[in-house]
Amino acid sequence: MSKSRPQLAAVITEHRKYSHAQHIVDRFLYGYGWHGAHHHPEMDLVALYVDQHPKGDLSAERGRDFPSMKIYPTIAEALTRGGSKLAVDGVVVVGEHGHYPKNEKGQTEYPRWRFFEEVVKVYKDSGRSVPMFNDKHLSWNWDWAKAMYDTSRQMGFAYQAGSSLPVTWRIPSVEMPLGSRIREALSIAYGGVDSYDFHALETIQCMVERRQGAETGVKWLQAYRGDKFWDALKEGVWSRRLMNAALCRSHTLTPARPGFNDIFPTDDDMRRIVKNPVAYHYEHLDGLKCTMLLMNGLVRDFNFAAEMEGSNKIFSTQMYLPMPDGRTTLASFFSPLVNNMEKMFLTGKAVYPIERTLLTTGLTAAGVESLYRNQTRFETPHLAVKYQPTTESTFERA
Amino acid sequence: MPNLPLTRRNFLKTGAAVAAALPLAGAPELLAAAGAPKRVAIITTVFRYLSHGQHIGDRFIVGYPWEGEWHKPNTQVVAMYVDQHPDGDLSAERGKEFGFKVYPTIAETLRCGGSKLAVDAVLIVGEHGKYERNEKGQILYPRYEFFEQVAKVFEEDGRVVPVYNDKALSYSFEKASKMVATAHRMKFPMLGGSSLPVTWRLPDLELPLGCRIEDALMVGVGGSDAMDFHALEALQCMVERRGRGETGVKSVQMVEGDAVWKAGADGRWSKELLDAAFSRSDTPLGPGDTESRPEDLVADGWLPKLVQNPAAYFIEYRDGTKATLLMLNGALKDFNIAVRVKGTQGIQSTQFLLTPEPNVTYSACLAHGIEQMFETGVAPYPIERTLLVSGILEACLTSKVQNHQPLATPHLSVSYRPPAQSVYCKV
Repeated sequence: MSKSRPQLAAVITEHRKYSHAQHIVDRFLYGYGWHGAHHHPEMDLVALYVDQHPKGDLSAERGRDFPSMKIYPTIAEALTRGGSKLAVDGVVVVGEHGHYPKNEKGQTEYPRWRFFEEVVKVYKDSGRSVPMFNDKHLSWNWDWAKAMYDTSRQMGFAYQAGSSLPVTWRIPSVEMPLGSRIREALSIAYGGVDSYDFHALETIQCMVERRQGAETGVKWLQAYRGDKFWDALKEGVWSRRLMNAALCRSHTLTPARPGFNDIFPTDDDMRRIVKNPVAYHYEHLDGLKCTMLLMNGLVRDFNFAAEMEGSNKIFSTQMYLPMPDGRTTLASFFSPLVNNMEKMFLTGKAVYPIERTLLTTGLTAAGVESLYRNQTRFETPHLAVKYQPTTESTFERA
Repeated sequence: MPNLPLTRRNFLKTGAAVAAALPLAGAPELLAAAGAPKRVAIITTVFRYLSHGQHIGDRFIVGYPWEGEWHKPNTQVVAMYVDQHPDGDLSAERGKEFGFKVYPTIAETLRCGGSKLAVDAVLIVGEHGKYERNEKGQILYPRYEFFEQVAKVFEEDGRVVPVYNDKALSYSFEKASKMVATAHRMKFPMLGGSSLPVTWRLPDLELPLGCRIEDALMVGVGGSDAMDFHALEALQCMVERRGRGETGVKSVQMVEGDAVWKAGADGRWSKELLDAAFSRSDTPLGPGDTESRPEDLVADGWLPKLVQNPAAYFIEYRDGTKATLLMLNGALKDFNIAVRVKGTQGIQSTQFLLTPEPNVTYSACLAHGIEQMFETGVAPYPIERTLLVSGILEACLTSKVQNHQPLATPHLSVSYRPPAQSVYCKV
């Protein structure tokens, strides 16, 4: 007996070329290359809510090309498909990209909390809830993120979220062994605060959560920017060996000298190349220290390194994003993200713990806060987020 | 000098490799020098930014990223020969900074201006530079001539050292065969070829040794005879693992234009394999590219509209195995393979990852193999692979200029065993 195909609704900020919603929605509509074939998800995206329609909006065109997907003017109508009760089996929320206000801390106020609240209202009114995916962090606002998490637990629906970084290819293709004893961990990435910092934090978290004792949460975070970053580097706030290892995993190291295509930069080179570096240095409740570095100008990829107890070898890899910024044409790292959503919609169970993204949501906000408070240490008693990692690896390797 | 994190591990690794080094025929001095850096001569056509000579050569001068460390090979470039000095030539500047001389002849380079061979290893990179093309479109890079001059010095001085030759051995199989015969006769290790067989694979796929391959399809892009060589060697490093190893090629044929699609319709190449190979691509250029749509270009029949001048390289091996390379400029920008393996495995596919410029870190994977040979005196994979691929490419281009007729290739009965261990980059 074949089970009927799940029907999905997507609630998105905007659908234009390279917006997150475009990558995600289009994978449900057109399918995508997966494990040696063009894979069509065994589910149907039947309802779409689009918050903004900027120039280049593709949603209307998609609606025409896929008549089975209807576009509704409100979230409630999308979820009820114009009726009075919840009429879908799963919801994909993509609140990334689009024009939303920036606050004084530099956070873009994407309406993920509002989207969530409206979705949950339909769940409540219908007396039924279905699995939900939330792209990237839960909210720019920690209290709202915590409320989203708590609501999902209270109502008992499968909730999955986060970045592509934990699930994309790794070069080399390695996993942190469960129960590892990690002394220190670090990532080097690029991009902005309240943006790619989240991805770089998830890069670290999906690895360190596998350590002995699992995740216990984070005690405090200290951000460094500009001159204070270079001072911290000099003082050895984070491990130089880890930083070198992560840089040696990059495929996009800006050549420090003309005439050389691949050469390791000196500190002076780095200072010249990276105009506005950012570090989030933080300590977990079990004492593990981690550092996330954004080094714009020096790299254009996401690299991870960890020092392990009892080993002289640094554990390092690159979380590989085939980025359509001239390097590729497809942001194929959305494929494993979508594939893991499909698994949740088919099984009704989240593939990896939402607590990971709850914690990285809080870390992102804490980084912003520390920067806003003149780069002072920010205590994070609210981030005592405990969880167990998945036993099985969930990153793309087949 | 950059701050190279020269670690204890690096040091130990180098020490262990030197201890394990095999003695080279007629080279007792090398053993005496165990632990000392290997003295390397670079022989190249041009040395300018991003020429193969520069980006491979510099790996031995400033090091390269390897296993999450900036690895400094235990080598010292002591001499360089550069055939052409176009604008942007960096050889003199590099020599001045790193303390080596650029000599006017290959013999002087190998002897470092003295009377006897004075290096422990030779890196030949005959790629890039202005050289004539023949009627088959092959660029007449002087790799054979470079190699002959190197071998002449070995002969005269009564000593041999390992030689790496970048890419195809020669545009001519006859010349390439002579090169390999010379290396075997004089008993020096020789390595050649492209970075594609040794770069990372997405996914990490190696075919089991001795598997039964029913059909193989490689998809590549770029011009001939530059990028087709890379694609053919990537194909070869997979299919050589079949049965009892490589036994050579019986015939080849190259077709172009509509004949490529017709051959597909006739079942000469597998649409299913093409679909599998395309599923591995991160760079499809379909109509949806303007919107970044992840379409199924093969099933939707887009390829004939996208590819202006497709080319198919058909290879029939002596053991009956068939393989095809499709060069599909306009449809994608990366290199992918699909192989139908008999038994439970079914269709296997992967992408040979070419990492972006300017780092081109895939050439670090190649440099690592070269370094291994320089250190141990043993080539990590057989030169016969590169010899056979050099011959396949030449034969395909001959077929092309002979009205795309099939061409029997009795001369390509090249036999060899693939390395038992995988040699591509997994670390």
